[in-house]
Amino acid sequence: MIRSISLFVLMGFAMLLSNAASAEKLKLPAGMGGVADIGATSCDVFNKMMVIGPLGTKRLLLTWAQGYYHAKSGKTINEIIEAAEKAGQAWDFDSLTGHLVDYCAADPDALTSAAVINLGEQLL
Amino acid sequence: MTTVAINNSLGESKLWKPPIVGIVTFVLMLFAIALGHTLMVLIEHWLGHETTYIASIFLGAAGIVLLWYGVKSKNENLQTWIGFLAGLTIWMTWVEFFYMWYGRANWGMVPRMIMSDDGPTVSGTYPEYMVMGATIGLLLMQLCFYTFDKDTRCNMFLWFQKKLGLQEGLGPSTKTAKDRNYAIITFMETIYVTWFCYAWNLLCFDPGLVGAGEFYFAINMASVFVAFVWSGYCFSRLLKFKRISTALRYAIPVGSIFWVSVEVATKWKLFTEIWIHPWDYKIEMTVVFGAFLSLVLLLVLAPKKPSEVGRGRPA
Repeated sequence: MIRSISLFVLMGFAMLLSNAASAEKLKLPAGMGGVADIGATSCDVFNKMMVIGPLGTKRLLLTWAQGYYHAKSGKTINEIIEAAEKAGQAWDFDSLTGHLVDYCAADPDALTSAAVINLGEQLL
Repeated sequence: MTTVAINNSLGESKLWKPPIVGIVTFVLMLFAIALGHTLMVLIEHWLGHETTYIASIFLGAAGIVLLWYGVKSKNENLQTWIGFLAGLTIWMTWVEFFYMWYGRANWGMVPRMIMSDDGPTVSGTYPEYMVMGATIGLLLMQLCFYTFDKDTRCNMFLWFQKKLGLQEGLGPSTKTAKDRNYAIITFMETIYVTWFCYAWNLLCFDPGLVGAGEFYFAINMASVFVAFVWSGYCFSRLLKFKRISTALRYAIPVGSIFWVSVEVATKWKLFTEIWIHPWDYKIEMTVVFGAFLSLVLLLVLAPKKPSEVGRGRPA
């Protein structure tokens, strides 16, 4: 038990270190817009980005979400939407991103990944 | 009779002589720049972004109609005011709001972010300004025209012509003061000066060019220094102006160049840009607006030379 907890703590510590290192490696070119990891960004920052660059910010998070859903289900977003349509749901760019935007507006303390997971619960 | 009366009033006026004319026009220009920012924020707020983009097409067209009216006038003072107002209108609508539509809505650009220990925050260089930064080559190309134009009367371009040894080759100007239409001159001056000063700030703020460290700081310190010295030199010349119309036209670059250092100061958070937060600073901005209107009124009512109000100009 103690070994498992120690291993878990060590893994967490290693992840923190690797996260710090990867954040540095993922640093965007200085003049570029956006953030390196939109999924790890707070909804509060996302909301502020939405004010200034609504279309691009929505697309940025949806692209992240597409990767996440593909990793979870092995399906592309179009395949997921088509499957959802058969189950009586209708989704498009506006409604998908609208869900993410609404989630973040309602809970600015959450991470944007939480918004993606929440949408995924309806889609997948 | 009227001309005599105007001449007398000008000669008797204890107020409208140097340095008052220069000081009033300079302060007016600073208020105009601040209120221009406020107006854009208010338009966005009142109309919403989507309507603003559509309205900007027609607001800009109204500016051109205004300019058309000014160009037809023979009154130099009126031409100057109209050229300035039309220039500001076109800049705000057909330039800034159009770039805003391209950057934010059409191209879907994401905002540039500032990374700090507290996490990312949205930079003040919005998508429209990222687009504007890309117009530097176009601006320089157009400024070449004025550098090589023998009819330009802008002191900066005349200085360039002198230093580049162009004056002999270009020959004397073919236009006299009476041949010039000050509405279109002031219109173009307003647009080019505003464009130049925006480009200046944007280049110095661009982290892709100057980073965000010591070089960025040094460049912007140099920028403030140049803006202070340049606008200070021009301001010292402006203080000697007697004619309201000429002072107004000269105050456009003086105020705009000075504003470059204001933009740097706000970037460094040395003070709050109350003009882009009118809702939070209602009283302050109301006072600024009131002061601006008072200065405009004073300048409109100020005694003018006959040449400023159309007398002696060709019909």
